[in-house]
Amino acid sequence: MSELMFVRPVSVRSLPEGTQPVVSLKGVTKRFGKVLANESITMDVYPGRIKALLGENGAGKSTMMSMLAGRYCPDEGHIEVDGKPVRFTSSKDAIAAGIGMVYQHFMLVDCMTVAENVLLGQEGTFFINPREMKKRVGELAEAYGLDIDPAARISDLSMGERQLVEILKLLYRESRILIFDEPTAVLTPEETNKLFEALWRMTEQGKSIIFISHKLEEVIALADEIAILRRGRLEGELDPSAITSKSELASRMVGKEVILEVNRKTVEISEPVLEIRHLTGLGLTDINFRVRKGEIVAVVGVAGNGQKALVEAVTGLCKPPANTVFIMQQPWRKFFAESTWNRSMCYIPEDRLGLATLRNQNMVDNLLLTTRKGFSNGPWLNKKRAEKDTLKLIKKFDIRPGKIHALAWQLSGGNLQKAVLARELYREPRFIVAEQPTQGLDVSATEEVWNRLLDARDISGILLVTGDLNEALQLADYIAVMYRGRILGMLPTSEEATSGKIGPLMAGVTD
Amino acid sequence: MWEFLIPLFAATVQSGTPLIYATLGEIMTERGGVLNLGVEGIMSISALVAFWISFTTGSPWLGFLGAGLAGMVFASLHAFVCISCLGNQVVSGLALTIFGVGLTHYLGVPYVGLHAPGFTPFDFPLLSQIPVLGDVFFKHDMLVYLSFVVPFLFWFFFKRTSLGLHVVATGEMPAAAAAAGLRPIALRYFAVVSGGFLIGLGGAYLSLAYTHLWTNGLSGGRGWIAVALVIFAFWRPGRAVAGAYLFGGVMAFQLRLQAMGTHLPSSLLLMLPYILTILVLILSACFGRRIEAPAALGTNIEPEG
Repeated sequence: MSELMFVRPVSVRSLPEGTQPVVSLKGVTKRFGKVLANESITMDVYPGRIKALLGENGAGKSTMMSMLAGRYCPDEGHIEVDGKPVRFTSSKDAIAAGIGMVYQHFMLVDCMTVAENVLLGQEGTFFINPREMKKRVGELAEAYGLDIDPAARISDLSMGERQLVEILKLLYRESRILIFDEPTAVLTPEETNKLFEALWRMTEQGKSIIFISHKLEEVIALADEIAILRRGRLEGELDPSAITSKSELASRMVGKEVILEVNRKTVEISEPVLEIRHLTGLGLTDINFRVRKGEIVAVVGVAGNGQKALVEAVTGLCKPPANTVFIMQQPWRKFFAESTWNRSMCYIPEDRLGLATLRNQNMVDNLLLTTRKGFSNGPWLNKKRAEKDTLKLIKKFDIRPGKIHALAWQLSGGNLQKAVLARELYREPRFIVAEQPTQGLDVSATEEVWNRLLDARDISGILLVTGDLNEALQLADYIAVMYRGRILGMLPTSEEATSGKIGPLMAGVTD
Repeated sequence: MWEFLIPLFAATVQSGTPLIYATLGEIMTERGGVLNLGVEGIMSISALVAFWISFTTGSPWLGFLGAGLAGMVFASLHAFVCISCLGNQVVSGLALTIFGVGLTHYLGVPYVGLHAPGFTPFDFPLLSQIPVLGDVFFKHDMLVYLSFVVPFLFWFFFKRTSLGLHVVATGEMPAAAAAAGLRPIALRYFAVVSGGFLIGLGGAYLSLAYTHLWTNGLSGGRGWIAVALVIFAFWRPGRAVAGAYLFGGVMAFQLRLQAMGTHLPSSLLLMLPYILTILVLILSACFGRRIEAPAALGTNIEPEG
C-alpha cells in the first residue's frame, strides 16, 4: 500500500522547554440532552505543531472541535487562548481569537467566486469592489504558495481546490489555530499529498494545526502528536515516533484489537450476475467486464473518471445503450421491467442520507423503502411485521441507537450504513452494487461492513466501487482501474504485483 | 400605427410598474433563501393601507410609505413563522395570501367606490421631449420614475455591497454564512422584511397611481404573476424588469382589445397573462440555461444539536 506519498521533511520536531500552549482545553464537558459527548477533556495545542485527533465515529471529536470553533459552548470547564480564559458565543468570537475550522462538508457558497467566499464576512466595508477583492485574495494565495484563481466560481472547482479556498479563508482571518475535520476524505492521493505539504508549510510559519482523521497511516505520517478520543474521553496522547504498528494505534482508538485485514475464505464462483459488453456512451468508452456469483469486482480510480456513470447504468438510474449491460443474464431493459424485491439486485449508494434513506423517516419506513413487497398484505402494508423484522435487523447488525423509531438523520454515519446494509441484505440479493461502502466510517464499522460483504458472496456477486485502494485489495477478486471513462486494467488481487500496478493506471499510465 | 402603439407602450409601462416592485421584492426574499407565496396577500392589504392613509391624511406619499410598512409587517409574520418557528414556507405563504386577500375584502367594504388623492402623471422635464421614448417612458407619475431607479439600486446592492453578498450567501448556504461569522437568521429576516417593503410599494402603486379609487380585488392576481416572474427572471433584477414589462404589455393589450370591442369574450382575454405565465415557465424550463435558484431556497435553517 503506497497510496500516501507524503514524508515529513523533519521526522521529529522537539518542543522547546517552556513553550506556552496557544490554546488549551481545561476540563471541558459537553452534554446533548442525556448524551455525554465530551467528558472533562484537558488538552494543549502548541504553536507550529500538528496535532492529530483520532477517534471512532461518535467519539466526540467533532463536538470538541466545534467548541473550539465557537459553535457550541462547553457545559463545564473552559477554553484558554494564550493562557487567558475565553468564552465563545459564536464562530465569530473564535475567528477573532484566531481559531478557524475547515469542516468536513465545505462551507462554501457554490455560486460565488473564490474571492467572495474568502472575504465573506470580512469585507471590512459596506461597499465592496470585486476587482480589489480578487487582488487581495490573489496576493494571499501567492504568499502561501497556493495555486488558485481568485475569480473562479466554486462550482467549477475540484474538491482539492475547494479545500484550498477553505484554507485561504482561515489564512485571511489570520487564524493561528487551523482545525481540519477529515480533510482527506474527498481528496485524491495527489491532492492529499499537496494538502499535507501545505499544512506543513503553515506550521513552519508558526500556525498550529489540529487534524481530525480516521486514517491511521495519515495520522502517523503527518502528526507531531496524536490525541486519541474514545467515547467522549481523552484516551491518551502519543508521540508518533513511539508507535510501532498501525494495529496498535487502532486498538488504542477503539479499545479492542482491530485487525484492518480481513480473512477472505474462498467461495465457489458460478454464473455471471453482471455482464457488460462494449459499453460506450454516458461518458464511458468500450467497457467490458463481468461479475460472477461468489466474487467481488472492485472498480477503483480517481473520483470523476466515469465510476458514477457506470454505477448509474448498472443500477438503472440512467439508460445505457441497448445490448451492452446484462444483469442476471438478461438484457438491461428486460431485467428492470421484471425486477422483483428479493433475490435480485441491490444498490448501496454512496449518498447514505439522500439516495439510500429518507432523512425524516424512521427505521421501519426506511426498511420498507426497498423491501415493501415482502410485507404486503394485498394492497396493505403489514407494519407490525415490518417493525418486528426491523428490530431483528437492529439486533443482528448492532445498529445504535437500537430504537425502531429513530429517524435516519439521527443515526451516525456508521450506524446508518449498517442499517442500509441490513436492509439490502435482507432481500437476499444475487447481485450487489456497493458504492464507497465504508467512506467516513470508523475502523470497527469498516471491518463489519467488509465482513458482511464478504459473507454476502455466498449468495451474490458484488460490484464494489471504491476510492479506498486498501478496501479494494482486501475485498476484491479483481480490480478494474478506471481512467477517463475507460477500464485500463483488470487486475487479479491474487497476484502480488497488482497493488503496485494500480497507482500508475489510476494516473493513466499504461506501460 | 404609432397612434395605437405609443399609448399601448405607455400603458405597458404603467401596468408593468407594480410588477417591478413586487418581483424585485420577491427576488430579495428568495435570494435570502425564503419562498414567500404571500405576495398576492401582501400586495392587496398594502394597497388598502395606502388608500386608507392617503384618504384620511390626504398625503399620497404617506400612503406610499405606509404601504411599504404594511408590507414589512405582513412579511415579518411570514418570516416569524418560517425562520423562527421553522414552519413550512409554502403553507405559510399560501396562508398569508388567503388571509391578506380576505382581510382586504373585509376591511375595504366601506371604501368601495371612494376616491383618494394619488399620484398624477406629469411630463418629466427634458426627457419627456424625446420622440417616442419620451411619450412611452416619461409622461407618468412619480412612482413610475422611481421604479426606473430601484432595479439599479437593487443590482448595486447585490453586486457592490457586503450586505448583499451576505444575503446571497444565506440563501445559498446558511451554514457557510454562519461559519463565516455572519448571522443567517438575522439576514433572512432582513431579506424577507425588506422584500415585503418592496412588495408593499407594488401594492401602493395599484391604489394610488394605477387607479385612484378603491375597488375589491385590486391586486387581481398580480402577486402570483410576480412569483412566476422571479423564476422567469432567474432571480436577476434586469430580467425582472423585462419580464414585468412583458406581462404589463399583455395586460395592457388585453384591456385595449376589450375597449376596441373585439368579439373575443373578455374572460378569454383576461386569461392571457396567466397563459403567458405558464408558457414562460415551460419555456424557461425547456430552453433556459441551468435554472440558478438560490440553493437553500425553501429550506429552513434547522437549529443545531
